[in-house]
Amino acid sequence: MTGYLLRRIPTAIVVLAVASILIFAVLRLIPGGPEAALAGPDATAAELAAIRHDLGLDQAFITQYLAWVGDILALDLGTSYQVGGSIADLIGFGLINTLILTVAALIIAILLALALALTAVLFDNRFVAGLLTVVNAAAIALPTFVVGTVLILVFGVRLRLLPAGGIPPNGFTESLQISTQYLILPALTLGLPAGAMLARFLTESLRTELQQPYVLTARALGASRTDIVLKHALRNALPPTLTALGITVGALLGGAVLVESIFGWPGLGLLTEEGIFARDYPLVQVLILLSVAVFVIIQLLADIVHAWLDPRIRLAGDR
Amino acid sequence: MPRHRGARAAAVIVAILLALAAVGCESAVSQQQNSTAPAAPGGPTPRGGDLRVGVLGDLSPKAFLQIGTGSMNGQVVANSFDTLIRYARDSLTVEPSLATAWQLAPDGRSLALDLRTDVTFHDGRPFVSSDVENSIKAYLSGPWTPQFKRTAAAITRFDTSDPHRVILHFAHPLSNIFDLLDSAPVIDQNTLPELKAGTAFNGTGPFRFDSWQPNSTVRLVRNEHYWGGAPALESVTFVVVRDDQSLFTRLRTGQIDVADGLSYHDQQLVTQRYGFTGLTLTGAESQEYVGINVTNPALSDVRVRRAIAYAIDRPRIINDVFRGSGYTVNLPWPEWSPAYRPEANTTYTRDLDKARALITETGPIPPLTLDYSTQGNDRVIAEIVQSNLGDVGIEVRLVPNDRTQQSSKLIGGKFEGLWLLQHAFAQFTPSTLAVSAYPFNAAKNSSNYSNPAYSAAAEAAWTVRDSSSPEALAAYRELDEAWLRDLFLVEIGVVLRQVATAPSVGNIDWDRRNQLHFAGTYLASEGKQ
Repeated sequence: MTGYLLRRIPTAIVVLAVASILIFAVLRLIPGGPEAALAGPDATAAELAAIRHDLGLDQAFITQYLAWVGDILALDLGTSYQVGGSIADLIGFGLINTLILTVAALIIAILLALALALTAVLFDNRFVAGLLTVVNAAAIALPTFVVGTVLILVFGVRLRLLPAGGIPPNGFTESLQISTQYLILPALTLGLPAGAMLARFLTESLRTELQQPYVLTARALGASRTDIVLKHALRNALPPTLTALGITVGALLGGAVLVESIFGWPGLGLLTEEGIFARDYPLVQVLILLSVAVFVIIQLLADIVHAWLDPRIRLAGDR
Repeated sequence: MPRHRGARAAAVIVAILLALAAVGCESAVSQQQNSTAPAAPGGPTPRGGDLRVGVLGDLSPKAFLQIGTGSMNGQVVANSFDTLIRYARDSLTVEPSLATAWQLAPDGRSLALDLRTDVTFHDGRPFVSSDVENSIKAYLSGPWTPQFKRTAAAITRFDTSDPHRVILHFAHPLSNIFDLLDSAPVIDQNTLPELKAGTAFNGTGPFRFDSWQPNSTVRLVRNEHYWGGAPALESVTFVVVRDDQSLFTRLRTGQIDVADGLSYHDQQLVTQRYGFTGLTLTGAESQEYVGINVTNPALSDVRVRRAIAYAIDRPRIINDVFRGSGYTVNLPWPEWSPAYRPEANTTYTRDLDKARALITETGPIPPLTLDYSTQGNDRVIAEIVQSNLGDVGIEVRLVPNDRTQQSSKLIGGKFEGLWLLQHAFAQFTPSTLAVSAYPFNAAKNSSNYSNPAYSAAAEAAWTVRDSSSPEALAAYRELDEAWLRDLFLVEIGVVLRQVATAPSVGNIDWDRRNQLHFAGTYLASEGKQ
């Protein structure tokens, strides 16, 4: 297992280094600089130059990049151009909200995937299969902004059962019930396509398992289809689905940008969006690098769990 | 059998959980509703309650004093800070605020202001004349780039020997000095670094700064020791909403009591169909215009610019896009401005024959670009202008920009051909427009237009003692003539900004910068339903 891990860590570091260069360069290719966002429409050229100097943007590209990387390595995330506060504080607040939303969406996605996949293999008839295919296709095909908007209009505006957006005014810790109600619509919007995608993986994986010889043996010994699926096939079908789950978490974090925007959820997605509009380079650089790092770590974790579930991978890594 | 027992147990647990949830369920929707009882003007002012105001954009301490860089800054300035004077809503009549009286020297080179003696900052420190000096110096020193910086820079000396009287000495008479005093908040010098960092907002205003959750909310609480009397509201919570559609939904579902920044279509919808109250912010007008880069060879001929002015269908834009909340003009002045002349606003009305004749004179015109901001209504207006110019044979290619890109091109004078934007500052002293608003700035503007006569008129208007004197009015006429003759930008209309409130909200005030003041505001029935 250790050798397996050691093989993957250098790759992760290279990915992060390349990502940092790309992020730094690409942001500066966006037309309009932070000085325009800060100075407002009536500033003079001299005022713009002074702001650029204050922000260090008049230095050479490589100097700026090395200074930024040096700060990051020293765990100093810097200061936001637009807000003026510590980026670590801004990210801390946004990260909690995004994690709450992403975890809730992940739970919905996993439950949905299990429900759909198990229904598909346990009730193996044409009508159920057709219905599930339609549900699955709709959940994947419908754009997030359509689902989010429809949910807001139905449950927030028309029926007034759930809040139409935002987070609990007194925070998430005051009341679990209130927090849950604020979470339902955005988490469902975010989790629905991910759940449908996972359901497809799991269903296919389960169907492959059900054609294995050990299933035939179990049937011959009198085991019911439910027992075979739940006790044997599901465990064996999980490893490939877990890899997909790792990718799904990355997709959920990415999808959170749009969902946070639709529901006014003050997480990292909304912070990134605002940072890009304001050309808040230090803030956006850290946010995107952070999302790359999270993705890399999740992939690493998925590989580790995969190796733990499948001894062949673990042993190959140790050799 | 054991499997059946397990299933039954699971079903019982689920049923118990559902029952508990149903019995004890606290609704987030009913929790977020303030009373919907209508406000009753004339009766005793109800006290208490938290007013929730939805605004587009978050607090940005680094741009704290700029006008037009995000409304949250302005809301905090308006409610946690005071200015020395306030303008009346529908005229340039100066009214007292922290200054109770003022005397302008006969030569216009100094202004003495008598200050209130009962004012303290939120931290308890008394307000004195040196705070005026420090505030104006802070206004000038940055990182902020506020629009009245040039006026502030013309103050050469401060006499603060009397703690309750300050005398400002000027390099030359300043016709727009009261614009500065209406706009620059009095800032506490001791907490200036914290203000710049966004960690303290120590003003003298009716509400104290309580908390800020970036991208989420800013909360202000009642200042019990406010010199104008403690506000009726216990607190004001500004909710950051990122787009006007969410603002509409939040207002409709009772999550906010005031929506500042709805589209004109949604404003009409909530007030006419859903029973919300609409406020029209007279005195805080802005102007929609088409800017023209006069150095573009195709646009350097003034006849082409006149053809554009004749081709634009102004009434359609005001009626369809702004839902009638405004009026068409050729000059920037709102109706109540001392510079307003109705007859001048009929110089260019839609006349396709005249426009085509001018284009025939000049010969074929290569396709032009029209830059617009993707934020707000400008895409629709751009399409109307594109169609209008198409009617007279001018092909227009639309160039969408986000707000930063649009700002960057504006400041840098980098628009290739035409552009679409709104400007403000015509709602202040007329001379301000040509010295502080970038599109009109005589020294350097986005149109790359320069004309010594225009610069002289701008300077003359700015350096007169009395902004309504015959001398000043003559200077405004010269500016008008330059705009109508040279057309480096084409005005479309004066636009009146609107705000929607729940029926339970009463007595909201506002200022010339579109900032809402809640010192006298109340909620008809305090607290939640």
